[in-house]
Amino acid sequence: MKTSLLIILNKIITGICHLFKKQASVFPASIVRKFDSDILEKINYPKYVIGVTGSSGKGSTTSMIAHILSDNGINVVWNKSGSNVVNGTTTLILNNTGIFNHKMKCDCLLLEMDESYIRETFKKNTLTHLVVTNITRDQPARNGEPEIIYKKILNSIDESVHLILNADDALVNRFSYLPNEKTCYGIDKTKYSLKMPISNNIDVAYCPFCHKKLEYSFYHYGHLGKYCCPNKDFERKIDYLVKKVNLDNSTIEIDGNNYHLNKNVFFAVYYTAAAYTLCKAIGLSDEQIAHSLNENILESKRLKTIKFDNREVEMIESKNENNLSYLQSLNYINEYDGDKTIIIGFDNVSRRYEYNDISWLYDVDFEVLDVKKIDKILCIGRFRYDVYARLISANIPEDKLVLIDDKNKIKDYLKMTKGKIFTMVCFDMTAILKKIFMEDEND
Amino acid sequence: MIKIAHLYYDLLNLYGEQGNILALINSFKNQNIEIEVDRLTIGDNINFKDYDLIYIGSGSEDNLNIVLEDIIKYKKDFKKFIDDDKYLIATGNSYLLFGKSIDDKDGLDIFPYYAKSCDRIRCHSFVKYKDLSPIVGFQNRKYIVENKENHLFKVLSGNADNFKSEFEGFNYKNFFGTFLIGPLLIRNPHFTDLIVADLTTKNNYKYHIDINTNEYKAYNEYLKNFYQK
Repeated sequence: MKTSLLIILNKIITGICHLFKKQASVFPASIVRKFDSDILEKINYPKYVIGVTGSSGKGSTTSMIAHILSDNGINVVWNKSGSNVVNGTTTLILNNTGIFNHKMKCDCLLLEMDESYIRETFKKNTLTHLVVTNITRDQPARNGEPEIIYKKILNSIDESVHLILNADDALVNRFSYLPNEKTCYGIDKTKYSLKMPISNNIDVAYCPFCHKKLEYSFYHYGHLGKYCCPNKDFERKIDYLVKKVNLDNSTIEIDGNNYHLNKNVFFAVYYTAAAYTLCKAIGLSDEQIAHSLNENILESKRLKTIKFDNREVEMIESKNENNLSYLQSLNYINEYDGDKTIIIGFDNVSRRYEYNDISWLYDVDFEVLDVKKIDKILCIGRFRYDVYARLISANIPEDKLVLIDDKNKIKDYLKMTKGKIFTMVCFDMTAILKKIFMEDEND
Repeated sequence: MIKIAHLYYDLLNLYGEQGNILALINSFKNQNIEIEVDRLTIGDNINFKDYDLIYIGSGSEDNLNIVLEDIIKYKKDFKKFIDDDKYLIATGNSYLLFGKSIDDKDGLDIFPYYAKSCDRIRCHSFVKYKDLSPIVGFQNRKYIVENKENHLFKVLSGNADNFKSEFEGFNYKNFFGTFLIGPLLIRNPHFTDLIVADLTTKNNYKYHIDINTNEYKAYNEYLKNFYQK
């Protein structure tokens, strides 16, 4: 009875939030859970309850899985809004649950899950599948070091869960030594592979069992690649190996079949491979997956094309305190062949805390930036001098860099530059820049 | 020529450690002094006598334990290196390696301080070194340190060695051990310059101070925005 009333309450609060055009993903459950913090244990879940977690890529992986499953007639409930902590998940589940039978109205519950909150969300054997995309350094002031994340995920894995693992990541691959059922994916050597890591900031270099240095045949980026322990205590075993990665044509090959990437960036290979592996694990055929990837293609999440000064603008979200997020942005900018101008900087390192740690700027390999076609890099925000000093130390020529002390002058300086504009800024500067671009469009 | 060893570069590498090495490289280059950096780790042969300065950075708990198993064999070498007035800079949890113990594990026991586990401490820090303007840094650790002597910094804001102390870090001769992450030598060019000036003159070069570098500009801007006297 109590559970039924709480499900009704959740639906009513959600409805009221929608009526007043307020965010309704987290608030309803924050009220409901005050009456029963264990309400998720009282739900009748569908056959498949799939969690997707990891330091990065979990949102894209979740979207791709949702697309393939829905395309094949499976009724999926998933956290499209990206609310991936306990209250967000609870609101979603209760809104899709029957009031009297407490049964979820779907074939599959699919959840992007914050790596620190899996156990807090589901206390007993609820997940049927867990996809782990990667574990890398990310917001260390909040999350601690990557091993802490590894241990948090480890503590939330029940024996009954089928693990879908990115075995290119030696930290994730440690889960493959658990007794669970598991299916692993990885990417074969590509023309983009590296013999050596770009710098010494990689998160895993030693065997977790014998502590010998791992021998890598190649690296994709960070510590992801093909490795083995010289004592054979630890190895990368792959069930689905992605071959023939071609970002120019946006194609890959798995098990002899060609698949289309919905975005021509390297991390699209990982989220497509993760989605493919999960779908195979729950019984979809190659033909079914091919239909969703090659014919009914998921439109990639692209921001509305903005113009400034009759030039194209692309706003890339770069996550502060995450060196690999910045590296992906740098590689993406490198891929663009024409003239370009970059805007980079931030007023605050984090929106959660004020520790002002900038050590991660020195873990971002700005050295990879190909400056040939770069007209200018504008450094903005309160930490612009730190960004500037870092770029100089990465051998970016001084004449390419512009320090902008007055935010009101960004527009004027930008008009003096040329080429496509890429912004790689964090949350606070995104709003300021959007305003500048919108004003210009309206002029 | 100045020779630097960056020890355990692939294990203790958590907080932009290459930034500290870059700060040293750039500072010596500004003095027109040739500099060589050797990156060394487990299994490499370390000739302590070759180096003017050794740098060790911060690492994960698991990696610190791997290093602890390996570093013990160098106890005499480190002791001699420090007694010979050479520079040893250890930031983050790596400076705990040189104390008596880390919880129940033995450290190198070169210095009398010891570390005990505590709930995670995260803070932004301003600390004082001699008469220099404030040193800036960030701390993210799960240890407190018990130490009665040779304090490195007087804490102006942020956490000290332990909850009763007013001091942070350990300093003996040219050994500098601190929880401060920054990268310390990038964010505090005035502190880096003290080391570079000393090594420059010791090696019979002339030292020229330059306070117009980008690192100084970043430091001054940071004080302007965040330091309250």
